[in-house]
Amino acid sequence: MREKELRLVVTFHTTADAMAMEKACQAQNVPGRLIPVPRSISAGCGLAWCAPLTEEESLRAVMEERGIGPEGLHECLVRV
Amino acid sequence: MNLSDSKKKLALAGVICGLVAACLAYFGNPANMAFCIACFIRDTAGALGMHSTETVQYARPEIIGLVLGSFIISVATKEYRSMAGSSPMVRFVLGMILAIGSLVFLGCPLRMIIRMSAGDLNAWVALIGFVLGVGTGVIALKKGFSLGRAHAANRMNGYVLPVLMAGILVLALATTLLKSSESGPGSMHAPIALALIGGLIFGAVAQKSRMCFAGSIRDVILMRNFDLLTIIGGFFVVMLLFNIATGRFTAAFDTPGVIAHSEHLWNILGMYAVGFAAVLAGGCPLRQLILAGQGSSDSAVTVLGMFAGAALSHNFGLAASGTALNAETQEIVEGSVPVYGKAAVIICIVVCFAIAFLNKRKEGK
Repeated sequence: MREKELRLVVTFHTTADAMAMEKACQAQNVPGRLIPVPRSISAGCGLAWCAPLTEEESLRAVMEERGIGPEGLHECLVRV
Repeated sequence: MNLSDSKKKLALAGVICGLVAACLAYFGNPANMAFCIACFIRDTAGALGMHSTETVQYARPEIIGLVLGSFIISVATKEYRSMAGSSPMVRFVLGMILAIGSLVFLGCPLRMIIRMSAGDLNAWVALIGFVLGVGTGVIALKKGFSLGRAHAANRMNGYVLPVLMAGILVLALATTLLKSSESGPGSMHAPIALALIGGLIFGAVAQKSRMCFAGSIRDVILMRNFDLLTIIGGFFVVMLLFNIATGRFTAAFDTPGVIAHSEHLWNILGMYAVGFAAVLAGGCPLRQLILAGQGSSDSAVTVLGMFAGAALSHNFGLAASGTALNAETQEIVEGSVPVYGKAAVIICIVVCFAIAFLNKRKEGK
């Protein structure tokens, strides 16, 4: 089984925001990937963006530039 | 108990739900319809007098139990959130499509899996349509589809559907106001207490595990994530073993008495509409009930849409008929989809495309 590691998980108000985040991060070579919102964060079934802890600043910059409002930023154990 | 922190626990959640469904089938629910959201909403709509098809009228305690089970567990574990405001009327329409598409196929995605586990090859054919529908929904998501965000709402909003469901239960137990079939699928049911307990357990487990038939395929297509599919796998295996053990497994197309038909194109298109609408609405019919229970008024509106769609299906003759055995001649009478049902499915698919590609995320919002 894959190991769990501490990651930065960004949640969004809508699935469309998560998709926009993926597009923006890929365009700007910011590392990370879409994951289902971890159950420990929410009972909802939306998507979240998962990235290394070191990327918080670049993620915030991408969101600011693209007008993507996060629902929350969480440090969370995620299978990598 | 955390049911979602490992694949084994997710599979266990599916196994528990499978045991509930198997138990209800054993104790009286119709063949291959152990636990069907669309069929049971249709039956409950009939009990309330929303349609007049006498063979499918019965207030199904399973539906009531699902909503209340999700409500109770989410309140108890402090996950209840009263949310509302994400395009409610569009969601009402999507709810109608979920019901109409399901009743042309003769079952929601949950019943599709149950039928698959009983060897009904029509359900395997319909799976193609369901996966394609979910896939089309995923394309819409990638193109920026959004119904807008939900906002925190007054707590009372989220209580409405659970209270209405509890009200139906009271009417069923304490009055003779509700209609109840004397023959046909509506007359076949497990004892009320058992069905209610089954619904409560299923609802609580589905809330904790986030069980969703459309979401499971969406996650595989979009992220190669198999978590939700693991739950469905556990559910399928239990139902398969149950059907084999009780002699209910028949691998065939035209099996009389299992409430299914073999119009392949319409099985595919019916479930295509359901898969597509489910991704747009953010969950399959089961998931809508669970989300409504944990406080989403948007999902509650979708559930009301399913009630309206189910009633419409029977009032306008859109629902398909199942293959049956003529008792006098002993000949097999093939089930079919009425012409208005076919037209309705086409309209549903067109409406799904319109909703999918006319509702876009606004940049900077």
